[in-house]
Amino acid sequence: MTGRDPHLHAFVSAAPRIERTGLRVLLALARRPRGARVLHRLAPADQLANGIASMGHFEDPAVAMSLGWDADAVASRGRALRREEGRP
Amino acid sequence: MSRRREPQRIEADVCVIGAGAGGAVAAAELAEGGANVVVLEQGPRHEPDRFSARPLEMMARLYRDGGQGTTIGSPPLLLPLGRGIGGTTLINSGTCFRTPPAVLQRWRDEFGLDALADEDALDPCFARVEAALSIAEVTPELAGRNAAVARRGAETLGWSHGFLRRNAKGCIGSGVCAFGCPTSAKQHVGITYVPRAEAAGARVITGADVRHVLVERGEAVGVEARLAGAGGGRIEVRAPQVIVAAGTIHTPLLLARSGLGRDSGELGRNLALHPATGAFALMDEVVDMAKGVPQSFYIDEFASEGIMFEGVAGPPSYVAMALPLTGRRHAAAMASYRNLALFGLMVSDASRGSVRSLGGRAVIRYDLVEEDAARFRTGLARMEQLFRAAGAREVYLPLPRGVTPERARARDLKLMAFHPLGTARADARPESGVVDGDLQLHGVRGVHVADGSVVPSSLGVNPQLTIMALATRLAFGLLDRAVPQTDQTDRAPTGVA
Repeated sequence: MTGRDPHLHAFVSAAPRIERTGLRVLLALARRPRGARVLHRLAPADQLANGIASMGHFEDPAVAMSLGWDADAVASRGRALRREEGRP
Repeated sequence: MSRRREPQRIEADVCVIGAGAGGAVAAAELAEGGANVVVLEQGPRHEPDRFSARPLEMMARLYRDGGQGTTIGSPPLLLPLGRGIGGTTLINSGTCFRTPPAVLQRWRDEFGLDALADEDALDPCFARVEAALSIAEVTPELAGRNAAVARRGAETLGWSHGFLRRNAKGCIGSGVCAFGCPTSAKQHVGITYVPRAEAAGARVITGADVRHVLVERGEAVGVEARLAGAGGGRIEVRAPQVIVAAGTIHTPLLLARSGLGRDSGELGRNLALHPATGAFALMDEVVDMAKGVPQSFYIDEFASEGIMFEGVAGPPSYVAMALPLTGRRHAAAMASYRNLALFGLMVSDASRGSVRSLGGRAVIRYDLVEEDAARFRTGLARMEQLFRAAGAREVYLPLPRGVTPERARARDLKLMAFHPLGTARADARPESGVVDGDLQLHGVRGVHVADGSVVPSSLGVNPQLTIMALATRLAFGLLDRAVPQTDQTDRAPTGVA
């Protein structure tokens, strides 16, 4: 259910068992029109499913970059600085 | 016939369980003081080269349970904790406050902790930690535009505020303190105290899941652990002094399964969390909240009411998860990510929860009492006021649609918590606390606790400096030496609670 995005899959898989099961059900519902309609009536669950799913979407480098966030640049600048200055 | 493999045996003067805020500090001070120290850490050692500045990816890697551990109760709270060398200091925001004097007074009055909460005696402990972690105030430039929005609002309203002091050195404002600092600017204990401990001869073993603290005839004799990884097996550290620093959630579970600390009935109880939430504002200006130090600014105007505002920020994926909207409104707000500001609200809680083990996992029960729900109602209303004063076009509060702060019930609140405290609380009286004023278990010689679990009350401010100062005090107490005086030109504030 989260297999399309390895980081989302890893994130959900890291959750405790009960939360993990719940998240997988919510994400599966959110991907189906009927499920999404059901979720729509349960605001907290809808917000959670929407939040987790969109987290994966906005982690996509192209999407993040369009909003001014370049994670690769931040990470590589950090690596370079650590090497230059002998930081741990 | 199979025979159970004999455990690997190590002798030490002190065995420290956990390499987070408390354990790492105690281990370094003890090792540098000449003690033979073994540190057992359940999690791994994280390599900064693998810090990707991507919240989703890093949460799965650096946080216990992917940062998705939740409490049971009304409302449920998300309780993210670090795991591995550095513990939660690896993934916190780096904010450093000394224990507020009013809190220390309370510890003396209510818990009989005259020596532990002696301001003069703690002063050199704080100073020593502050020097070790290069604690300094964030500059306005590094604080970023998210802080500038809150500052503008606070100045318009005349609210008390300031830039936070943090354990950072050479910070360039990467904006991902909570997801692994890519520049190693944040001076978490994994790159400060742990290397010092190792340089002084301490042995740090990762992947060690401590199962029991061993006690014979009322005295500590060691620790037994299971080892993860290819070799697996068991390890037994024989040591007359054991320091339990597994964190507020896991220390009481370890003590309970070791049959220790239960006499008072307080083990696993008295859990304070500093419940928190965040509100967003849509601004006309570009904020780019992730550019700069995420937690760089505070507003303490209402600290005496138990309400503290502190900065929080993150990259788009983090905001997408935290934004209290759905559907088209969520999409529209995310399309304006660059114009979004975010600020946090933390409550010094009167609510108390508990932690117990169920099938080997921590089950955390915590219900918000009406007094704290009222603090959130007040805090959210003031947060809206703050953003409006700063010129916000729209404010997104963490409440269901149509619910105003004044009408919010506990179950309407979308909360997180970052500062669990109190589950093995210190109290001079054996019938009321788990550890005494020297952080030693009541009735057991040689078993000490050095993490947030000993903190007997809510602090109202971020607790890492308190935990580290108490660990420093404990280490020098075990060495039977006075804590050396440190130059205090860069003293952290005491907070105002």
